[in-house]
Amino acid sequence: MNQRHHVIILGAGIAGVCCAREFVDRGFKVSLIESGPAAGVQGATAAGMGHIVVNDGDPEVLRLCLRGRELWRERLNEEETDQSYWRSGTLWMAEDDSQMEALKGALGRLQSAGVESELIEGERLFKVEPALARDLVGGLRIPHDGVVYAPKVTANLWNELEQVESYFHTAVVEIGDGWVQLANGSRLAGDAVIVATGISLLDHFTGAAGEWARQFPILPREGHLAITARGTRILGHHVVEAGYQKGAHQVSEEAVACAILPRPTDQLCLGSCRRPGRGGPVDAQLLQRIIDRCERFVPGVSSLPILRTWTGSRAATSDGKPLIGPMPGLKRTWLLGGFEGLGITQAPAAAELLCQRVLGEACILDPGAWDPARMRSAVVGRLHG
Amino acid sequence: MGDRVRIQVDGATIMVESGMTLAAAMMMSGLAAMRRSPGGDPRGVLCAMGSCHECRATVDGVRGVKTCMIEVKEGQKIERDQPLGLASLEAKIDRSIRTVEFDLAVIGAGPAGLAAACAAAELGRSVVIIDESIRPGGRIWSYRHEPPLAARSWLERARQAGVQRLQGYTVYRGQPGELEVAGVTDGNRVRVICHKIIVATGARERFLPFPGWTLPGVVGAGALQSLIKGGLDVRDRTLLVAGSGPLLLAVARLANESGARVTLAEQASFADRSGLAIPLLLSPSRWRPALNLWNALADVEKSSSSWVKEARGDGRVEEVVLRTPAGDRVMAVDGLAVGYGLIPESRVAAGLGCDLDESGAVRVDAHQQSSIPGILCAGELTGVAGNEAAIDEGLIAGIVAAGRNPQSRLLARVRRHRFWGQALESAHPLRDEVLQLATEDVIACRCEDVATGDLSGVTSFREARLIHRLGMGPCQGRVCESSPICQRLTGSDTIRPPWMVVPSGLSTRVSQVRDSE
Repeated sequence: MNQRHHVIILGAGIAGVCCAREFVDRGFKVSLIESGPAAGVQGATAAGMGHIVVNDGDPEVLRLCLRGRELWRERLNEEETDQSYWRSGTLWMAEDDSQMEALKGALGRLQSAGVESELIEGERLFKVEPALARDLVGGLRIPHDGVVYAPKVTANLWNELEQVESYFHTAVVEIGDGWVQLANGSRLAGDAVIVATGISLLDHFTGAAGEWARQFPILPREGHLAITARGTRILGHHVVEAGYQKGAHQVSEEAVACAILPRPTDQLCLGSCRRPGRGGPVDAQLLQRIIDRCERFVPGVSSLPILRTWTGSRAATSDGKPLIGPMPGLKRTWLLGGFEGLGITQAPAAAELLCQRVLGEACILDPGAWDPARMRSAVVGRLHG
Repeated sequence: MGDRVRIQVDGATIMVESGMTLAAAMMMSGLAAMRRSPGGDPRGVLCAMGSCHECRATVDGVRGVKTCMIEVKEGQKIERDQPLGLASLEAKIDRSIRTVEFDLAVIGAGPAGLAAACAAAELGRSVVIIDESIRPGGRIWSYRHEPPLAARSWLERARQAGVQRLQGYTVYRGQPGELEVAGVTDGNRVRVICHKIIVATGARERFLPFPGWTLPGVVGAGALQSLIKGGLDVRDRTLLVAGSGPLLLAVARLANESGARVTLAEQASFADRSGLAIPLLLSPSRWRPALNLWNALADVEKSSSSWVKEARGDGRVEEVVLRTPAGDRVMAVDGLAVGYGLIPESRVAAGLGCDLDESGAVRVDAHQQSSIPGILCAGELTGVAGNEAAIDEGLIAGIVAAGRNPQSRLLARVRRHRFWGQALESAHPLRDEVLQLATEDVIACRCEDVATGDLSGVTSFREARLIHRLGMGPCQGRVCESSPICQRLTGSDTIRPPWMVVPSGLSTRVSQVRDSE
């Protein structure tokens, strides 16, 4: 492909807009199609907490997170981004010695990957975060993690892009090899189609691609969040319980874990939970369990005034890893999604990687780990074995 | 009457009259600026009825208390703009929830709610009224010492019929059959189990942003009424009452009778309002009140086709630019009260799932039944038509909720009231000039300090909210939603809990306490 070629991107969430930027920077003609009214106001971009965290669960995942975090640090400036980026750092909290051991393991993996991180034990924990419950045994601090307010960051990135042809309020009904059929009857064709539509990622394929999509569907995982009034930022870090990662890896069960994210607007975002679902009405009992869990780690947090509550949905894949690469069976249509809870962290890196693959450039990360075609064998084996 | 109590504001002791609302007491003591906005501007009371949250402060250690909704108390401690200290988190809030059970829960103790509760209770139903204010009566019958004559008979009937009240409680979450409510001063929780619900949450004022409207001392028209009834002394103060609608007349009358020097400015033209002559002639019961009102306003300077273009002042309103048919006039004032009519307060009903019409009013049938079985609505939230309509609709709702059929005479009366309400509405059309007062720098969302110019080019509510933070503060959009800039936005947000921000979060269990160091 060269600069005269035309790239069609579906979805103006954080992934789609990051991807648009990669192609625009290289001088391509880009069209962006979005069902909602604007960039950054739908899906997980709009509903998510907005954490930038490096996840050490898997070396490939860690590399993707690190590259994403690095790109955010290059692109965003704490002073200049209108309260939408803040390098708060993450503090993983251990309730008992076994969790502390797990955090020590994580520390080893992070440090051998060159990630600045430290264990904090005993009284020092409460010097770092005085609001924490006194019976916690320690924590793992990752100082360069951060917080973005994803809708605003996405909108800002979008506004910086010039000469992107945009179609808002535009629904897609079918996706083919290098073309999309729109609900308004028209069809757009390009040299590459990139699908970045979150939980709808695989909804509109037919034929062999549709068959693959049915076999390895996107599994929407609902979350609930609440946000406190201004003037309540009693934490300096994004504090997360060590057990969070366990919950994040259970695809079918309901899991609740404390994750409290201080926002630059002097508010706290309280989460989190995971269960199958596309983001329906707020479930009062579930929200209660989340707030109770937060209260266990930060006593008093449940008595702060809550302004709003909402639900949203993360797009998970059957093997828990994102899909960054060609749609199996198609040559000109590519997938960018399935990030589960790490979309905001990983989006710039995933967009960069996908663009490099589409253009046949040298890839900064190993593309094989994310190729959708990986689902052909391993997972079938797991599901049927 | 006349007892004095001591309260402490930011450590300084001040003496105030007992029975006052805290907001009125603070304004009387020269503390019109109650907090700072996110951008650092001073803010004070706007609505004085618990909608706008602009007057919130930390009261006796509880953050986010609306000072307009509580009464002064001996020894009360008020802190303005206090950063949240961990020590205050340890002030343990009792989140245990008690459960009460009734046949019928009525939300709102204004004319509609009181009438509904009386009608159902007199038919043998067990009834509880949940009301956010200090005392029953709603905005129109609010009082400090003695309820007004019109309210007294309803309060007496309610007492005799055994109507229970949760006074000073806000409904923040619920569903048909169950409501959760929180005390406005302490966040104490009650779960109300009920077979039926009558929502009678009335109306709130329509605010149209203009340059200077965020200055302390600029309040709603109805807000001035509430503040005076809440004890604000306006003797010898120069007040401008402006905006639109019949409420201005009642407010100007009260301010005038309370000793203020009042000027009244109505944006509608005399010609527009003369359209009311025929409906008034057809409605003899309104002749005497209209004549009384007219006489009471004899010595008040009144002008039509006049509106406030700008308010100015250093830290609080000091002068106003009034546009009159004779040109701009700069007036020195001690206070400015501006309201552009009323809009239905239908959030709780919407949260319960009731259908709304395009004006934001709840759709009800002739028996005041909403689209959700078991939920009835009565009064201004079904369409603004005045307190006679509210009373009759309340009676109908109460009778229907008790399983009886209302008399056709009562139903006919409501139809006539609605006709009058529509005549009033069409006699006060908003002129383009007042809809265009919000220039680029004028704040559109007071909670989050979003300027009108920030929203240029924005077409949808989602974008305005998520990207620009319009309506993302504690008023949840109640103030900005009626402004012209929002009227052109497409889409709307779903109503999710909390339906009203309450001081102590959403949790309803006793929490653990941080160990002392």
